[in-house]
Amino acid sequence: MAADELTLLSIAEAGERLRRRTLSPVELTRAYLTRIRAEDAAARCYITVLQEQALASAATAEREIASGRYRGPLHGIPIALKDLVMTRGIRTTCGSRILKDWVPDADATVAARLAEAGAILLGKLNMHEFAYGPTGVNPHYGTPANPWGRDRMPGGSSSGSGAAVATGLCAGALGTDTGGSVRIPASLCGIVGLKPTYGRVSRAGVVPLAWSLDHIGPMTRTVTDTALLLQALAGHDPADPSTAAAAVPDYRRASDPDPRGLRVGVVREVFFERLHPDVRNAVEAAARSLEGLGIRTEEIRLPRIHHAGPATFAIITAESMAYHEPYLKTRASEYGADVRARLLTGQFVLATQYLKAQRARQVLRAEVDGALRAVDALLLPTTPIPAPRTDEREATVDGVREDVRAWLTRCTRPINLTGHPALSLPCGLTADGLPVGLQLVGRHFDEATLLRLGRAYEAVSPLRDRRPSPAT
Amino acid sequence: MVSVPKELLQTVAEALARVPVDPGDLPAICDQLGAQLEGLAKLDDLDLLNVEPATVMLPPGEAPDGR
Repeated sequence: MAADELTLLSIAEAGERLRRRTLSPVELTRAYLTRIRAEDAAARCYITVLQEQALASAATAEREIASGRYRGPLHGIPIALKDLVMTRGIRTTCGSRILKDWVPDADATVAARLAEAGAILLGKLNMHEFAYGPTGVNPHYGTPANPWGRDRMPGGSSSGSGAAVATGLCAGALGTDTGGSVRIPASLCGIVGLKPTYGRVSRAGVVPLAWSLDHIGPMTRTVTDTALLLQALAGHDPADPSTAAAAVPDYRRASDPDPRGLRVGVVREVFFERLHPDVRNAVEAAARSLEGLGIRTEEIRLPRIHHAGPATFAIITAESMAYHEPYLKTRASEYGADVRARLLTGQFVLATQYLKAQRARQVLRAEVDGALRAVDALLLPTTPIPAPRTDEREATVDGVREDVRAWLTRCTRPINLTGHPALSLPCGLTADGLPVGLQLVGRHFDEATLLRLGRAYEAVSPLRDRRPSPAT
Repeated sequence: MVSVPKELLQTVAEALARVPVDPGDLPAICDQLGAQLEGLAKLDDLDLLNVEPATVMLPPGEAPDGR
């Protein structure tokens, strides 16, 4: 198999070859590094590439597998991390100029867990500065190219993660999601992204944006691969008191059973208002495909969910400002203009508004919980619009002109507020050839049902086996 | 969209918050705040008097069957 083809294998496919020793970790890692050298100058996905370290780790994995010490399906798999995940001895910039030379002295729990599972770290991925923006436009390290349209936004804030996975510059990646930052780039880049339940994956050692909204999740080319990464990441961590002690199921096995008979609720309020027509068509078609698989769909109401937007605004601005205040007092000029303005907005949010938002959060979480007693999952678009052009600041749908940041986050932010797990997966292309994302939202700690629905849908998705053309 | 005076924010930043704001950033801040103020006021429609705020950052209730 040609080196380029190796970089397009799913984690499950590559893992099986590694286990059987028909593929070596060194060969696979070299294939990715060769592709990164050839393409990343234009793709701008990586901030740091760990060529020597990755090859040394791959050689170690090769020896371990050869001597019968096979660790599992991630052993020898080349992955990459969003550059706000702390890595011992490796700079962690957060996509910022302020932390451009920061070298942590410890690994984040998620980095350590992936290393323990035998994954090979290829490098650290580009991102929206300090994770505060859904576009992925970065004034310091350049903006990763969306492989479906080089002049299009990759989405953010996990922009490098989305673009690198879609381009074939890593087998899988981690992103973080405070208002949609895993799901938005997954949607815009045509890959799978999971925001797990709040408390499912440790955030210890990951630079925060907003403590009560931050989540960490896998980004991959297939639903099964997302299950494999989640398996390594999930579970209680004493270093993160917000993690739950809930048992971790076997996600790959749990996503196997035929989903026939499951019920999915289609939520029209907020989520289906003012959609790009191609997005509406693709998501409606996905709902029909699920029905064709024996899954029952029904309309379900969330009459108060429109309060989620302002509530999330109050929380994210106040919490991010609290974290960044020391830097803003002394090094404000080193931030990009858009992130600095968003951060500074937080000092004008009143404490009463913040607390009101945290109370509203309880009401909205209960409302979504109530809906999920009637159905097994909710079905929504991930983003109301496909990837805007990189220089677009506003977009118009149904005669309404809004900031692209507001468009991109409308369908994702509410689920950060409620903490439910949400899976984005590709469900079609627009007339311009841009991917559309379908979002499935599940009960707390029931990622397994989302993976089960996702795997079944993936098999009939119009984007199955479609890859972006490198020349696009 | 509520119109927020730039001068007001400049005063708050200097006198209360004590984090300096470059005047060049104020228009964007006014726009972002102005776009959300009506929605923030409408949170009162949720009848929040008897609702505990989610200030303790612990995970939501675990599913009863351990999923």
